[in-house]
Order: sequence, then structure tokens, then C-alpha cells
Amino acid sequence: MVDVRKHKSNTANRKVVMGLSGAALAMLALGFASKPLYDAFCRVTGYGGTTRVAEQMSEIVTERAIKVRFDANVASNLGWTFKPEDVAITVKLGQNALAYYTATNDSEYPIVGTASYNVSPIKAAPYFSKIECFCFTEQRLEPGETVSMPVLFFVDPLLAEDTRLDEIKTITLSYTFHKVERPSEKPNTAVERQAQLKKLEAIDLEIPKQTNTPANTKNNTQINQQGRG
Amino acid sequence: MSDHKPKFFTRWLFSTNHKDIGTLYLGFAIISGLLGGYLSFLMRLELMEPGIQYFSNPHDFAMFASMHGLIMIFFLVMPAVIGGFGNWFVPLMIGAPDMAFPRMNNLSFWLLPVALICSVISMFVPGTTSGNGFAGGWVMYPPLATSGHPGPAFDFVIIGLLAAGFSSIFGAINFITTIFNMRAPGMTIHKMPLMAWSVLVTSWLLLLSLPVLAAALIMLFTDRTVGTGFFDPAMGGDPLMFQHLFWFFGHPEVYIMILPAFGIISHIVSTFSRKPIFGYLGMAYAMVAIGVVGFVVWAHHMYTVGMDVDLKAYFLAATLIIAIPTGIKIFSWLATMWGGSIRMTIPMMWAQAFIFLFVIGGVTGVYLANAGLDTAVHDTYYVVAHFHYVLSMGAVFGIFAGFTYWFGKMSGYLYNKWLAAAHFWFFFIGVNLVFFPQHFLGMQGMPRRIVDYPDEFAYWNYVSSIGAIVTLVGVAFFLIWLVEAFIVKRKAPDNYWGEGANTLEWTLSSPPPFHQYEVLPKIK
Repeated sequence: MVDVRKHKSNTANRKVVMGLSGAALAMLALGFASKPLYDAFCRVTGYGGTTRVAEQMSEIVTERAIKVRFDANVASNLGWTFKPEDVAITVKLGQNALAYYTATNDSEYPIVGTASYNVSPIKAAPYFSKIECFCFTEQRLEPGETVSMPVLFFVDPLLAEDTRLDEIKTITLSYTFHKVERPSEKPNTAVERQAQLKKLEAIDLEIPKQTNTPANTKNNTQINQQGRG
Repeated sequence: MSDHKPKFFTRWLFSTNHKDIGTLYLGFAIISGLLGGYLSFLMRLELMEPGIQYFSNPHDFAMFASMHGLIMIFFLVMPAVIGGFGNWFVPLMIGAPDMAFPRMNNLSFWLLPVALICSVISMFVPGTTSGNGFAGGWVMYPPLATSGHPGPAFDFVIIGLLAAGFSSIFGAINFITTIFNMRAPGMTIHKMPLMAWSVLVTSWLLLLSLPVLAAALIMLFTDRTVGTGFFDPAMGGDPLMFQHLFWFFGHPEVYIMILPAFGIISHIVSTFSRKPIFGYLGMAYAMVAIGVVGFVVWAHHMYTVGMDVDLKAYFLAATLIIAIPTGIKIFSWLATMWGGSIRMTIPMMWAQAFIFLFVIGGVTGVYLANAGLDTAVHDTYYVVAHFHYVLSMGAVFGIFAGFTYWFGKMSGYLYNKWLAAAHFWFFFIGVNLVFFPQHFLGMQGMPRRIVDYPDEFAYWNYVSSIGAIVTLVGVAFFLIWLVEAFIVKRKAPDNYWGEGANTLEWTLSSPPPFHQYEVLPKIK
């Protein structure tokens, strides 16, 4: 009598334990998976001020102007001076703009750095599209070297249609340079940067005047593969 | 055969009996509580006057604050309410002979002393260049917990917390299986006592939230030791992600600590009003609702990190919703007492005080849930006052209520009423003196975890520290009545509370036989 009951309850217990252990393991896996999930979430929603990366330049300009401020920070263990060439510029929505930062390696040895970035206010992030940026690659600076680093961007005209952003007149683009302890095979050096600068300066930023409303010509904005939340 | 007990070492070291393991948990909780209380008493002594008197540097003070939090949460409240009362009374109340997995139960308990020892060791090994131990708060945010604490102290904390976490996960699996599969005939899930309901909901919260903490801790550990960059922006990580992971665990954790106390209080209020609990099903499902909603409100701990305003609005609204099931519980306790034949026994005094003080802590919680207001008082003593009202007066009053309610059932002895009353009054006045003035300090902007403060905060800090001394007297009376009861050995009858105490544990002797329910009780 007792044995029968025991046998039955063992099977039932085993079933429950399997289910519960599965649930606990699933939550553990979710904890680790949160890293890629969180990155993807930031890129898709612009959470934390994660910007977009566009493959093509903007093709429409609208009349609404917006001020873009540039902010620069350096991690405490990186011996660089890093600042924007202009503190702020005013652009029209959809206008392709080129801005420069200047970085100097003040130390006595070459350092590889990489920049993390976001924009503020956070809700403007999904409309801030970078086409080309020094933050996409690691940068190697020789001792004493001073370089000019470009960022080519536009503010998506779709911003005008988002009523949550009606009061936005200023967007701040912020960078923080960090030291890379274990650099990749090919960080950008003077040679690559020269070539890139030449290429960017040769681009015609002007867009022929159009009367299109922004709604029917959405700029080709793509999700950044290297985005940092 | 019926009451054959193993010899001392076999009985206590290799114990597989749910009542013995429950006793071990309670004893462990008392020891940890004294340790955590000692840390907090030294902090209050330091804060009695402006300036630095007793601590050698701010790091040590922050280390004491961090360890006080971790010890009280992981080694006092959780072992007492879940391991202690859960182990003792869930099987008794649902009519089960023991837990579903008695050997795993033993493992759950013995992981805890290991965890506590690791945590205590951490206080004596280097943390930062300024001192020993981990001083990054119980929240353990990077980068303070990674590059900010290069020494081995925090690694000991991580190992300790992982051990405590696995202990709780095993315990949770054990409780859920016991409650699902081992109820006596006729004990349907909707007839189950509220204590068992509360432990069931708590176990689910443990099972789903602790693995996330484990993942976060392992990521912290690899960031520290093998050079990964989960939380390091220089390597593409995000320190903010740790805060999300931590609070995804941390918010359910606060309900893990308070739900079993809700269960205990329900039984006491019902017993001493001589009425069945008002709105039984509402009470049970209010706990389920608190558990479910508790999983989707975590970022209200992080309003100041730079969150989108819409996201703040969501977390604000979701947090306020929790006040509804909590309100259902408070009103049902009041309705149970309404028109009841109330007896003001010692456990009933603790229960009354619990309801009163928990409501105060709940109201300040509703206040803090508002993102705009929270921005002003974030990380001030206002928050400290709030969570001590719900924990050190909520959860701890629940523990003392349960302890004084079931002490005779567990030990077989009755305690001295006057000593227990002295314990209650000194403790009640003491903790209120400690924490009520901290609301004022917080409103005036005094930050947490700081060893020193400007003179303008001196008055209420002095009052608060006086409260700590009064509380200490209360704790002394607790230890005195405990020892006195074991010395005098007044035999407790089976049902010493009489009419009103009608759950299954009161049908057994005091203490219950080593193996109970050889013939399973039938519930009509």
C-alpha cells in the first residue's frame, strides 16, 4: 500500500522537478542572453540614446532647423585631449552635415582608443543617422599626434512627424573615448584617416531642392551592427 | 518506530526532517541577524554625532552598510521566513509527512553557512586600496564592483551570493513540488492555508528571479577576472545593463521577503479574532497578483539613470498598480478583525504593529514610485526609511509575530509573557525612533552610505541613534525570553491558543512527533 503511493508520487515529483528546473535554467539563459538582446533592443528603439547608421546620404531637406551640439569626453585612463572643432552647428532636417573633432595623444606611447556615443534627448536617437563616423573603428594615435576626426550625419526629416519631439530644438551628440586594452588587427592610423578625410571632403553635401513631403521618401536608415547601447 | 529520533550529529548535520531543518534555518537566521544588527549598531553609533568617530575611513563605513544589507536580506529574512517557517509549517499545514525532497532540503540549508562564511571572509580581505571588504552597496553596481574593487573581497561576496542563490532555488523547487504533489486528501489548492499560498508564490518568484541574479553575478565575475566586457563601455558593454539585471531580480526579491510575512500575519489575525480570514480567495490571488506585477516594475529603482520619459511613465503606473492588491490584503486583515473577538496576545501585538507600520512603509513607497519626486529623494535617507519600514518593521515584525505564535508548537515550551511583551515594546519604540526621523533627514537631502554629514542633520541623527540603543534593549529581551523558556520548560499544550487556531498544525502535539501524519488527515 505504502509502496504504491510512493511510486506514484515519485513519478509526479519528477515531472514537476523537470518543469521547474527547466524554468530556472531558462531564466539563467535569459540572463546571459540579455547582452545581445539588450544591444538589439537599444539599436531598434534608440533606448539609451543609441543612434542609427544610414547607408546613403539624405536626399530631402525640410525647412525645420535644429541645433546639434557636440560633446566630447575622455576616459580617465586614456591620455588624450579630445574636443569638437565647433561646439554646435545648426542644420535643417535632412541636411547632410560634416563635423570634426580633434584628438591629441598627450602621452609618450601610441594608444588605441575607441569611442562610445549616444545622443540626448534620448527620444531623438532613432532620428539621428550617421553615415560615416570615426567611432565606427578603433583609432590609433602616435605619441604627440593630433588628428581631425570627421562625422557625417543627418537628422532624419521623419522627426518632424513625431509629435513627441515637437519641442526639440537641440540635439546633443556625445562621444567618450576609451582605451582599448587589446586592439583589433587593424585600428585606423594616419594613413587610413587621411584617405577617409579626403573622401569625405570630396562628397557633395548639397541636395537639390525638392518639394516632396518627408513621408513618402523615407531615408534609408539601417540598424547599426556595432551599436553600443 | 513512531517517534524514533536519530542521535545528535546524525540528527542535526545530516538532517532530512523538515522540522529539524526549519529549526536549523531559524537558528541560522538568529545568528545572522545578530551579526547584521551588530554592523548596523556600529553605523548608528558613528552617525550619532557629526564627524568621524569610530570608523577609520569612509570605505569601512560603506563596507559595513553593504554587508549589513546583504546579511540581513540573504541570511536573516530569507532563511527565517522561507527556510524557517516555510519548512516548519508548510508540510504541517497541508497535511504532508515531510517535504518532497528531504535530502535536497538538507543541501539547501547547508549551502547557507558556506555562503555566510564567504561573505564574512570578504570583510577581512583587501577590497580597494583604502581598505578591506566590499563597499559597493548591496546593489553591487559596476564599475565600482569591477574596476573599483580590484581586491579579492568582492569575489568572496559573489561566491557567497551564488551559494545563497542556489540554496534558495533548490528550496523553491522543493516547496513548489511539495505543495503541488503532497497535499493531504481533500486539501484542494483553494482550501490551502494562506501561509502555504504565500510560500508557493514566493517560491515561484525565487525560481524565476534568482537565476537572473546568478547570470549577472557570473558576468560581473568574468568582467573582473577573465577580462570580458559585459558591463565595460570601453569594450562595448553597458554598466546600465547590470542595473537592469540586478533589479529584475531585486524587485521580486522585496516581495520574496514580505509575502511569507503576509501569510504569517493572516493566520495570526484570524486566530486572535476568532474568525476565518476575510476574503480568503482575494487574499490568495492578491499575493499572486503582487508576484506577477512585481516582475515588471523593476526600473523604478533606476529613475535617475537617464531614462526616456515615456518609460518612466510606464514604470510609475505599473508600480502604483501594486498598491491595489496590497490594499486588498490590508483591508482584508482589518475586515477579519472587524466584529471579531480580539485577544491582544504577544503575536497579535506584533501583527497589529506589522499592519500599522507596513502601511506607513507602503505609503512612502507609493510616494517614491513617482519618478519626479524620486529624482529629488533618490539615494537619500528617505529611501532608507521607506525600505526599513517595510523590511525591518514589515518582514522582521512578521518573523517575530510568527516566532511568538509558533514558538510553543516548535519547542514544546511556553515563553514568559512579560519578557516577550518587553521585547515587543522596546523593539517597537526603538525601530520607530531609528527610522521615523530618517524621513526628515532624507527630505532635507542627507545621502545614504555616507560616514559623515553636515551639522544641520545632527539633531535627527542623534534621535535615530538613541532609537538604536532602545532597539538593542529589545533584542536583549528577545534573547532573554528565548533562553528563559528553555530553562524553565513550561510545557505547551497541543493547541495553546485555543479556539481560532484551526489549521492542521494545532491538531498535533507540541512539539509535533518526529514523523507526523502516518495516517494522512482528511480535509472536508
